[in-house]
Amino acid sequence: MQKLTEAQLNELEKDLNAIRDEVLADLGERDARYIRKVIRLHRSLEVAGRVMMPFGFIPPVFVAATTALGLAKIIENMEIGHNVMHGQYDWMNDPALHSQTYEWDTVCTGDSWRRTHNYEHHTYTNVIGKDRDYGYAVLRLSDDVKWHPGHSLQFINYVLLSVFFQWGVGVHELETERLRRREIRWKDKLPFLKEFARKGGRQAFKDYVFFPLLTFPVAPIVLAGNVGANLIRNLWSSTVIFCGHFTQDAETFTEAECENESKGHWYLRQLTGSSNFTGGKLVHLLSGHLSYQIEHHVFPDLPAHRYPEISPRVQEICARYGIHYNTGSFAGQYGTVIKRILKYSLPDGVRSRLEAQPA
Amino acid sequence: MLSKLENSTTLRWLGKQLFNREDPAAFFDPLLAPLDPMLVRQYVPARVERIEAETADTRTFTLKPAARWGGFCAGQHVTVSIDIDGRRHNRTFSLSCSPLRWQKEGLVTLTIKRLPGGLVTNWMHDHLEPGAVIGLGEAFGEFLIPGQPEPVLFIAGGSGITPILSQLETMAAEQYHAPVTLLYFVRTQADIIAAQRLHTLRQGWPAFSLSILATETGAAPRFLNDDHLDAVPGLRARRCYLCGPGGLMELATDLLHQRGIADDHIHCTFFAAPKAALAGDSLGGEVRFSRSDVTVTAEGEVSLLDIAEAASLSPRYGCRMGICHQCSCTKTSGTVINRLTGKTSGPGEEKIQLCVSVPKGPVNLEL
Repeated sequence: MQKLTEAQLNELEKDLNAIRDEVLADLGERDARYIRKVIRLHRSLEVAGRVMMPFGFIPPVFVAATTALGLAKIIENMEIGHNVMHGQYDWMNDPALHSQTYEWDTVCTGDSWRRTHNYEHHTYTNVIGKDRDYGYAVLRLSDDVKWHPGHSLQFINYVLLSVFFQWGVGVHELETERLRRREIRWKDKLPFLKEFARKGGRQAFKDYVFFPLLTFPVAPIVLAGNVGANLIRNLWSSTVIFCGHFTQDAETFTEAECENESKGHWYLRQLTGSSNFTGGKLVHLLSGHLSYQIEHHVFPDLPAHRYPEISPRVQEICARYGIHYNTGSFAGQYGTVIKRILKYSLPDGVRSRLEAQPA
Repeated sequence: MLSKLENSTTLRWLGKQLFNREDPAAFFDPLLAPLDPMLVRQYVPARVERIEAETADTRTFTLKPAARWGGFCAGQHVTVSIDIDGRRHNRTFSLSCSPLRWQKEGLVTLTIKRLPGGLVTNWMHDHLEPGAVIGLGEAFGEFLIPGQPEPVLFIAGGSGITPILSQLETMAAEQYHAPVTLLYFVRTQADIIAAQRLHTLRQGWPAFSLSILATETGAAPRFLNDDHLDAVPGLRARRCYLCGPGGLMELATDLLHQRGIADDHIHCTFFAAPKAALAGDSLGGEVRFSRSDVTVTAEGEVSLLDIAEAASLSPRYGCRMGICHQCSCTKTSGTVINRLTGKTSGPGEEKIQLCVSVPKGPVNLEL
């Protein structure tokens, strides 16, 4: 990682803090209006999707309904849920938008997400051994993990994880790798499993039992549509999320490097461990502005719709300190993620030989 | 009708499964509010019907709450929620009309004085207009008229007359026959609130005696004193109700104690004007953790998280640097400073991050 002096790190901290303070002071009507508009959009899409679904025996209506419901889930998970739970709208003092009580439309409970994402992932971003999001314990993405033959099939893991992403995220806190290594016992995970079963059961009941049975004669159609909507959300969100920290230039860190970390160093780690991708306004909305993963990691509790405005200033700061600002096209960044997954499924020897070959 | 749906346990359970929230009906608010703001379910909406000036700095806001509002007893107060510049602010005010008005016309009134430096009262005076919709909480408060008629003395100061107005009009309507005296202290004649209503009461209600006293006429200010109390017949037998600025309430309580009136016959209610944040104010103060029933006194720049842990509580926390919001909890009252931003919070109920909040005066936390 960049070697900045302590003095430089202090200056970096000051410069980034200045942006944060400025935005915080500016929060008000505009931001409230924005999130309420997005919520209105979500409600409209979900109502439209669910109302249309029983009429899905007409193929175009099925496509429209499944797409509407899929988009509703995407927006609720990414632009609304993820951002609200980060505390981005706590200042509004609206009980329905409180970070600590918001519950989102996906299998993962809000509490589990707050623990594993807000706290663990954002504090230990890309620190090998501490940030369990790095590979989600089912993918080898760097040589910090020793290769074994099972890894050669990890692309299957990737596909399964993407297809069933909401369940993967929901059960992430189980820490199966630590259970296997007997570092923790199943008994320790019982409270979590109870929470997971309750929320997972609730979501499955809603999408796969209640709504299908509500319009009984067309139950299979509604069921298929709801499965489709969840699948759309799973594939989209896993793709967006993987582009956040697994792109080629995204750096990883050791625990030792980050001991007694200063705020300036934390900022630097967030800047170099995250990656952006470009796109139109729709892409930014649907990605919950995780297209600005760098800005998000530097300022997780600023309303995400502000990231596009902040981005030029963050880029300027990076240029000044000689820090690489990791961005590219969505397809480009995603390509490097796929490459990484494939590369590290190979033994180190094979991988190095392939890398040594001219492109 | 919608309330019946809301109260059905099966439907509520179903709503929670489908919408992932404790108030499932409110899921549709974002779609209903643009159609008609009175349709929201997240809180009880009340539409501003009329605004009238009482004095130069006091206005009466007449509100029409949604039918499902729970009503009130004379002397109680409500917490209103108002969105100002994207933020929801909660403030508590006394209801200044009789419950009969709610029962007969479906209307209630709040008589609100503009507080110097107060965010909400100034905004209400300057920007709230008829047609606007605000949130109205359920009425609460123990400042209630006696169940059976007995002699009563009201001592009011300034805008403290508001809950007492509610009580007087209620008592007058039922021709309360025990003697009732009101000593109403104002600074000048121009500061008398509801003068017309008070005089009307005096005309139509024989048991009622009214004394309005301007403290600032004359060379020296004339506050409540023994002479005023001497003029009240049968003082010792009276049940006393006090509402006004802290100084008046303390003075009145002392004088009444001296006359042998016990605390169980003295009822007080008031909302201290939020203290304007002075630069010289020191940090720290008494912190009460209401759920744990623990009260401690803190000094200096210690964060509420550290204060809680020093008091042997174990609140949830995460990064301890104001980023992850794991330590976020509800402050029910009091002012805190955010160590990260330097901003001072409001005095009302809001969520704060324990790890970066420092108390500035007494603070109440739901912890």
